[in-house]
Amino acid sequence: MTAHPKNETLLEVESISLSFGGVHALSDVSFDIRKGEVRSIIGPNGAGKSSMLNVINGFYHPQEGSITYQGKRRAQMKPHEAALGGIARTFQNIALFRGMSTLDNIMTGRNTKMSKGLFWQALHFGPAKREEIENREFVEHVIDFLEIQTIRKTPVGRLPYGLQKRVELGRALAAEPTLLLLDEPMAGMNLEEKEDMSRFILETNEEFGTTIALIEHDMGVVMDISDRVVVLDYGRKIAEGTPEEVRANQNVIDAYLGVSHD
Amino acid sequence: MFYRENGQFKSSYSADQAIFPIAQDRVFVIGILLIAFCGVPFVINEYWANAILVPLLVYALAGLGLNILTGYCGQVSLGTGAFMAVGAYASFKLVGFFPEVNYLILIFVSGLVTAAVGVVFGLPSLRIKGFYLAVATLAAQFFLIWLFNKVGWFYDHSPTGMITVRPIDFFGVRVTGPEATPAAKYLFTLTIIATLTLTAKNIVRGRVGRSWMAIRDMDIAAELIGIKPLQAKLSAFAVSSFYIGVAGALYFGVYLGSAEPLEAFDINQSFYVLFIIIIGGLGSILGAFLGAAFIVLLPVLMKNLMVGGFGVASGTAGHVEILLLGALIIFFLIVEPHGLARLWQIAKEKLRLWPFPH
Amino acid sequence: MAFDLFLLEVVISGLMTGVMYALVALGFVLIFKASGVFNFAQGVLALFAALALYDFLAEDGWFFAVFGFTLPVWLAIPATALIMILLAWVIERAVLRFLVKQEEIILFMATIGLAFVLEGLGDLLFGSDVKPLDIGIPQGASDWLLDNFNLYVEKLEIVAAATAAVLVTALAIFFQKTRVGRALRAVADDHQAALSVGISLDKIWVIVWSVSGIVALVAGIMWGSKSGVQFSLSLIALKALPVLILGGFTSVPGAIVGGLIIGVGEKVAEVYVGPLVGGAIENWFAYVLALGFLLFRPQGLFGERIIERV
Repeated sequence: MTAHPKNETLLEVESISLSFGGVHALSDVSFDIRKGEVRSIIGPNGAGKSSMLNVINGFYHPQEGSITYQGKRRAQMKPHEAALGGIARTFQNIALFRGMSTLDNIMTGRNTKMSKGLFWQALHFGPAKREEIENREFVEHVIDFLEIQTIRKTPVGRLPYGLQKRVELGRALAAEPTLLLLDEPMAGMNLEEKEDMSRFILETNEEFGTTIALIEHDMGVVMDISDRVVVLDYGRKIAEGTPEEVRANQNVIDAYLGVSHD
Repeated sequence: MFYRENGQFKSSYSADQAIFPIAQDRVFVIGILLIAFCGVPFVINEYWANAILVPLLVYALAGLGLNILTGYCGQVSLGTGAFMAVGAYASFKLVGFFPEVNYLILIFVSGLVTAAVGVVFGLPSLRIKGFYLAVATLAAQFFLIWLFNKVGWFYDHSPTGMITVRPIDFFGVRVTGPEATPAAKYLFTLTIIATLTLTAKNIVRGRVGRSWMAIRDMDIAAELIGIKPLQAKLSAFAVSSFYIGVAGALYFGVYLGSAEPLEAFDINQSFYVLFIIIIGGLGSILGAFLGAAFIVLLPVLMKNLMVGGFGVASGTAGHVEILLLGALIIFFLIVEPHGLARLWQIAKEKLRLWPFPH
Repeated sequence: MAFDLFLLEVVISGLMTGVMYALVALGFVLIFKASGVFNFAQGVLALFAALALYDFLAEDGWFFAVFGFTLPVWLAIPATALIMILLAWVIERAVLRFLVKQEEIILFMATIGLAFVLEGLGDLLFGSDVKPLDIGIPQGASDWLLDNFNLYVEKLEIVAAATAAVLVTALAIFFQKTRVGRALRAVADDHQAALSVGISLDKIWVIVWSVSGIVALVAGIMWGSKSGVQFSLSLIALKALPVLILGGFTSVPGAIVGGLIIGVGEKVAEVYVGPLVGGAIENWFAYVLALGFLLFRPQGLFGERIIERV
């Protein structure tokens, strides 16, 4: 829960509107994320939270609005641009590579840092091997950090749900992200697992200074670890501010309790 | 008890990443290589070379190539036969144009030509997947075979439409044509396959191999973490086609000696290589060899058993073979979709405990 | 005037071939619609059906050898239909039910294996020589058309077109109006959901493969009457793939339209472009056309778009 001393804006979305056919996933949503903060995005199911992350990531292209990241403004993000720019994420329904081991999955997170081409790969001895070992060392730090040493070589398809979520976090961390997007990282976890995950998220934010955008349903977690919160409902932003401000906001209370609108 | 890793601790990432981290495996493989390179050539005869070992190695190479594309990168291809033809015809024309150049170099260039063709026909993979892509590769299969059949330039306008390999010497040793000794053919093929297998293994366990598997398992997530689908898929097509092209050049030059597109490289060939990697195990280097052994040895076995043993007509034996092949495909897909390679792994797991029950 | 007539004949000939393709494609669509399986063995099923039919009718077949008499056409056809239903049941029990949870590519490869099994079996049981199939469809060109319009159109192909029309209508009614048809559509949409409302997957699949088998029988009869029962029939399956891509994998009218387009396209290309490049364009034209569609409209003319979510 640190506010970076400089408080500069890392990411800003302005008037983002996104629709699929007749379905308006997002309507005129604007907010910013400051460097070094933990920004939570909350809202009832179907509010458009994941769609918002997908827009930031470049998977969905909004019909209207703009995204400004690290000072550069654009109408839409391309996935590769986002990745190279230091944006990493986890997914709501785990998107790990099931045929590969934990180690290999996390190593794929290093992909943007590795460059030796086919020729060196075929040779193996020499530059490709050095690059592999260098990156392996970094990945091992991530593995130590997340305490998943024992499952290094296990194919991820065989891991229990909670550990898979942790491996997915590891893959995102391996990319040394500037902005980390987490889509419901605690979904389906028990209390202990949630505490572990919160600890990892906070340590990532405090020790490495990683800016974090977090979608989460557990209000306790949100209140505990967020610096600021954005609330979406039916694709629109209905409130934002510190956790305390948002909790007291009548619109937010109505949205969650489902008061009928005339 | 004999196959335990006890006491084999790795103290560096380098050791951990080795191809055969377990000492017993290393010994076993070195043993096989020694026998293959130093023992077999002295006892090999015409039959064993021409009917079993050379085709086995060539099909294993084709299987390796297809496995890279389909097993590791998840792009289905039914065009293997046509790509083998590209390699074969490329080597045929190159030897005609540059008879003085080393055969190995010409084979390598044939592989590069096939890689280029593979990339072109692989472009659709950027927009379509699964068996829709398989249909696109069928377009490649039928079109290329038609091309090699129709355009006289490819077969030097020979009236029979066939291409026949010229007698070629490799550092003074005849390796193609009727005068090549079985040992020469075998060693030439073996050296190429052994080298290419090593490079395949190197590529597959590194960054490029991981990006292929990522695309296979979940291409959207792969793109979102920064793996470029274009590069990954096209590099898979390129490397795969290179291997298949070299296999095709060897298939024509060393194994068959002469070839005609509709017989040697038609859609059935594409199916055979696909069967090799299904039976051998998708996504496994070892699997290509096990599958090739299976596909090559089955007809031999059938012939010996049925024709020799039971006196069945060879035509009928052929029919039974087709039936058996289909049944085995279904069997493997149901019981062990990861093929013989997985069965081998399971056997090794059991070996670690043997002779103790648990 | 003569040029126009020739073009018309080529187009009609193409349409007729297209109808034949459509018949085979229909079988594919049925199975794909109801089980998501792309049945590569459809062509071989048509061949197998034709072989079985021939066996009932001819004096050099097993039936005659065992029972001493051959069946008349009006009995042989239903008898063959029964064989196809039995085959469908065996396929469901021996193959399909074990592969339920696998991805579609595995199922596709299993049907390739199935095609090989049926081909080998057919060879073993019935021999691989070409057999003439005569069930009484009139041969030769239509005199009426020839006399009045100077058009050469084979009677057989007219019968095939008419049969296809009847079949498509019957299937459309079947899918839309009957209880079983509704169940089939439910299964095609979502296996789990269908199971949870009490639809038995096994029964559905046996039904679908049986219907497909009967469609294959019709296709086999048409093709067999036209050019004799031979193994090139199984290669028609490969031709059906481009048809499905054009028409969409899940659309019955799409299979017809796709078949017609491919049929006409092939013939026209062969006649007008073929001589420029040495002929035999028919070998690959359909695939290249399909490839074009795949790149620009992957769901075909009538199929449904697939949206991917993360």
